[in-house]
Amino acid sequence: MEYLSSSLGTALALIVSMDREVLSTVWTSLSLSLVSIGMAALIGIPVGAWLSMGRVPLRRLCITLLNTLMALPTVVVGLVIFGLLSRQGPLGSWGLLFTPWAMIIGQTVLATPIVANYTLGALSGADPRILPTALTLGASPLQGAWQLLLEVRFGIMAAIIAGFGRVIAEVGVAMMLGGNIRGYTRTMTTAIALETSKGEFAFGLALGLVLMTVALAVNLLLNLLQQR
Amino acid sequence: MQPIYSLQHIVKRYDSRLVLDIDQLELIPGQSYALLGPNGAGKSTLLELLALLSQPTAGNLQFAGETVHWNKRSLRSQRERITLVHQAPYLFNRSVFDNIAFGLSLRGIHGARQRQTIAAALERVGLADFAPRHARRLSGGEAQRVALARALALRPEVLLLDEPTASIHSETVPVLEQVINELRASGTTLIIATHDPQQAARLQCHPLMLENGQLADPVQRCQQTDHPPLPETGRSTCGHCCAA
Repeated sequence: MEYLSSSLGTALALIVSMDREVLSTVWTSLSLSLVSIGMAALIGIPVGAWLSMGRVPLRRLCITLLNTLMALPTVVVGLVIFGLLSRQGPLGSWGLLFTPWAMIIGQTVLATPIVANYTLGALSGADPRILPTALTLGASPLQGAWQLLLEVRFGIMAAIIAGFGRVIAEVGVAMMLGGNIRGYTRTMTTAIALETSKGEFAFGLALGLVLMTVALAVNLLLNLLQQR
Repeated sequence: MQPIYSLQHIVKRYDSRLVLDIDQLELIPGQSYALLGPNGAGKSTLLELLALLSQPTAGNLQFAGETVHWNKRSLRSQRERITLVHQAPYLFNRSVFDNIAFGLSLRGIHGARQRQTIAAALERVGLADFAPRHARRLSGGEAQRVALARALALRPEVLLLDEPTASIHSETVPVLEQVINELRASGTTLIIATHDPQQAARLQCHPLMLENGQLADPVQRCQQTDHPPLPETGRSTCGHCCAA
């Protein structure tokens, strides 16, 4: 018990003193996750919007596939992309393995099905009068679709936040594709795993506390948006 | 005079269910029409079709002398001349001002001219100070009036109203009927779906009776009854349709 309380004290001291190592790891995590979720939003929102339209061929199959991809284990995504990006893989010449870009690709793959699925849910539950109202007021079909997205903006924001929650907390992709390189690809989750195995429990705990705070903030925001 | 609408052999089905079957119908610009009929007669479906929002399953629809091509860019310019106010209108999740500004902005009307137009439209429906209010905090009747103001601001050639006073407090109905009468006098083509024959008579609308998606002849119906003529118009009315 004393070990835990003293570690907690040290962890809090690391956070309060804004330890450089802690800050660097938190910054890497946040920046990579933000870029990944931005890319996932660019892909996932149009995919979800497309699937929400009634006349999509093989729509049910696509939705089932999307649901399956949502539950994809992070290490499997890491493994597949590792195979593609490794020196002997088809994209090995790009030299992306163990760089932040490899991690961004992996995290984008993880978050895109979540963003697409949440977007699909938001648009499927949207008021059916939105589009006809926009059209009768003079909107083109594209302007009408944009108006529809604006009307379900809280659902879309929830989609982005849920995707962010997934990528900030994942460890498999970051470990396998980033290589846990200090100050470069070391994220909060990979640092926790490494530092704890080295016996630096307090350091891991400090990052764990920051990660939990981020996760709590994300979930509070998600709940708030889902009530709108 | 060239009709504003010309419908020929129009059929509308939802799955296999026939909801509209109109062999021939021509509507004259500047006239007012009342779509009468029981619930499920096809009034709202016909309005959606006339608003060019819903494509018929079969048949030919002409608007202002031009055949409506449902997949062409010309559809938007035709739609801009028509505005439909739904029975339960949808207001965008923002302020009353923004709701009315939406269609004006799409037509390139911004700034002071937009503000003046919005203020005038709101004043016309008796909601002069409602511009900053959030649309989601309005009562059903207020929302209906804002939707009418949103349509009025666009000055459409054709205004389609689906049960415009259904959710409005009885004290406000004369205000809106006055607005509708002014529109009629200004030459706007009005097509109003209503279940109230007396209202159609008050608004001096030419009756179009719909039954099971088909047009019925209101004259024949009235002749089957001995309903007394309305003193102010000299028209007769019956329990099912407004006037003949």
